[in-house]
Amino acid sequence: MSDVPLKKETNTLDVAEVESRIKALCQQFPHGITDQVIQNDMPHLEPQQRAMAINKLLSLGQLDLLRNSSGLLYRMKDMQSASKMKGSDNQEKLVYQVIEDAGNKGIWSRDIRFKSNLPLTEVNKILKNLESKKLIKAVKSVAASKKKVYMLYNLQPDRSVTGGAWYSDQDFESEFVEVLNQQCFKFLQSKAEAARDSQQSPMVQRNSSFGTSHEVWKYICELGISKVDLSMDDIETILNTLIYDGKVEMTIIAAKEGTLGSVDGQMKLYRGVNPVLQPTGLVRTPCGLCPVFEDCHEGGEISPSHCVYLSEWLDF
Amino acid sequence: MTAQEVRLCGLLLREHFGEVVEKVGSHLLRGGAQNLRTIIHETGLPLDLVKKSLCVLVQHGACVFSSGRKGPGSPTEYRTSCDWILRILRYPRYIYTAKTLYGDTGELIIEELLQRGHLTMSSTVKTVADRLTQNMEEGRCMDYSEVSSAFSKLVETHFLQRCPTMVGAGTSASATPSTPATPGTPATPVSTAVPTPESFPDCYKVPHVTLLGRGKRQLSSEDGEDQRNAKKAKLDSQTHGDEGICWQVNFERFHLHFRDQAIVSAVANKLDQTSSEIVRTMLRMSEVTTSPTASCTKPLSANEIFRSIPTSYNILRPILDQYLTLLVDDPMEFVGKTGESGGGMFVVNLHRALANLARATLESVVQERFGSRSARIFRLLLRKRHLEQKQVEDFAMIPAKEAKDMLYTLLSQDLVQLQEIPKTPDFAPSRTFYLYTVNQLPTARMLLQNCYKTVANLIERRLFETKESKRLLEKSQRIEAILASLQASGAEPEQLTEVEEMITAPEKQQLDALRVHINKLDSAENQVDETIFLIESYVTSTASPS
Repeated sequence: MSDVPLKKETNTLDVAEVESRIKALCQQFPHGITDQVIQNDMPHLEPQQRAMAINKLLSLGQLDLLRNSSGLLYRMKDMQSASKMKGSDNQEKLVYQVIEDAGNKGIWSRDIRFKSNLPLTEVNKILKNLESKKLIKAVKSVAASKKKVYMLYNLQPDRSVTGGAWYSDQDFESEFVEVLNQQCFKFLQSKAEAARDSQQSPMVQRNSSFGTSHEVWKYICELGISKVDLSMDDIETILNTLIYDGKVEMTIIAAKEGTLGSVDGQMKLYRGVNPVLQPTGLVRTPCGLCPVFEDCHEGGEISPSHCVYLSEWLDF
Repeated sequence: MTAQEVRLCGLLLREHFGEVVEKVGSHLLRGGAQNLRTIIHETGLPLDLVKKSLCVLVQHGACVFSSGRKGPGSPTEYRTSCDWILRILRYPRYIYTAKTLYGDTGELIIEELLQRGHLTMSSTVKTVADRLTQNMEEGRCMDYSEVSSAFSKLVETHFLQRCPTMVGAGTSASATPSTPATPGTPATPVSTAVPTPESFPDCYKVPHVTLLGRGKRQLSSEDGEDQRNAKKAKLDSQTHGDEGICWQVNFERFHLHFRDQAIVSAVANKLDQTSSEIVRTMLRMSEVTTSPTASCTKPLSANEIFRSIPTSYNILRPILDQYLTLLVDDPMEFVGKTGESGGGMFVVNLHRALANLARATLESVVQERFGSRSARIFRLLLRKRHLEQKQVEDFAMIPAKEAKDMLYTLLSQDLVQLQEIPKTPDFAPSRTFYLYTVNQLPTARMLLQNCYKTVANLIERRLFETKESKRLLEKSQRIEAILASLQASGAEPEQLTEVEEMITAPEKQQLDALRVHINKLDSAENQVDETIFLIESYVTSTASPS
């Protein structure tokens, strides 16, 4: 008979001890511990007691429950974030968890609903609540301007959401792109001219008229016209638009891994080129640029004999 | 044989040969090969007029005849083609090329031949000598031998060729001096194919012609007309040993020359002068060895090129090698390397060069018509073939709204096509990929038709302007004639000024404006013709099986 209270005492003692033991184990393994680990540590612990201890810790918000491929994982929760959630109920915690998991790409409200299985009204209420507590924020996606994605307050939105360096406040900065475009072109053009004027053998001329993407990037950075830091990839997209303008051509050469600006053992070289053809004959006549070309017939309302564009052009 | 082509051919025929020939020509264009009776019946013209028109067309190489479809006994059929008639548009360019290559003599020879169609060597030489003598100072005249040598040079470089002689069994077509039946007409069945000039081995052989003499200066006396006629008759009666051998302009050769010119100037624009000279040398060396439809010239070794470059450029051998390497590495691929023997074997990639030039033409049309951003999108699509709308915006770095607008404009003008790739068999719009693409060949063809329409518009406008001011032009012509006669008869200056004042000042202004307009329209026609030539060469180069 006297064993029973003793056992009970040891049980309660055990529970607190178990909890602290589990917490210590969590701290030891910051990636998380499985049931197996706890069992190894305290082999005499019954599964029921273990489960009770874990549930208590979970409800206190000191432990995180995760699932991975092999089973359940328990991880120590950050004390700070645990304090934040004080006063929130479970649903809010769940929504917060879902948003946190989305990382810096953010998550759409409909996706939150799917993941948490909560009705729409609930989700909206919770989101408003969290926003007022300054725990999450809404970021407008640049792809669909009506769509709002939610992410944690202190996270930087990912490039795909904001559009990267070319967008500021969801607006595509065309003037910025234009200015960069012209600056890059001027740099490459002056390089080509310098090479041409140097009057050396043609091979040397051509090679010196090339500029690597790294050089262009350095030049643009030094110019300081950009408020945002531009990476070499950004510069390469600008240089690609110059290629599509027909002003610049690109070749790729194999370069040693260590050389400046080489990516995966290759380097991209750009040089300014001249156009291959002058504006063609057709566009020197008004008919080549006429907006009503299709409707023009002899004897009709619009005809060559009475064409206004032709008259103006002839009197020019 | 599209509607635009037929319209343009009709206008050209009317301007150069008159309404009757135009009627017959247009009818042949629309109806295909027809025999004489059908033509007479359907155009409603009298027999002799139709006969004469057909003569004119055959003389100028715009029409060919062959025996009928049903066999050798059926009436001959006449056939024409748009290409032959559209060449008329290019006559000024041919004459100008001859002038740059062979001077005034060459220019006049080509002009005479273009005007007359087919002509014997002796008559050409005489006429040209007379014309040149007209323009020289008093006391000097042009010797026939100079003109003959220019003629021979033209034949050597294949710019002129002999007209094909028709082996015909009783062709009812006219006894034009250009196509006499060879003596002893064979009784074998006549092939239905029209013999080309090239199929004759003597195509480029200059006949031995005895031409001694010099050009005669025409006297501008009162009865000069009659005297001249009398003289002409006397001259014609002399024989020079080349009867029956008529010559015509070899248009294909001129076209090859234009194509070479276009390639050389493109290289000069893209790279530099020296590279263009190297390419010019390469093309010159392969002028007569490469067939017109070849996709690249015959391989030339670097040694040969080095020997053939004009010494005035002073290019050293290692420098030449470097230039050749640069030409081969250029993304435009004008020149290719096919082997290593002889210091490297190089060819000029003709078809690829033409394709690149056609692409540049398309791009320039889009740029001038729609702006440089649309041109950016166009070039992007040409490079990347198929792109979605979002990808177009990203690559071209143009805001989404504007990019969408530009793409739709290009789509409505048929310069860009839409390719649908469905995810589900029911082509539901939300589950289909829509890809934008540019097909170079169909777009080039469409642009070609636009060019034809443009030239026809310009010609019509020119005719309209002339018609409007017809009264004024007649008046000015009359006044000029009066002035000329007064001057010839030695009038005083007061009489001359009196006559000149018959034209009032505003009328003079109008006349000047009219002259400016007509010149502008003429030069515009020539410029559009350059575009036509480029695109036509590209389209024909893709049509050939190589």
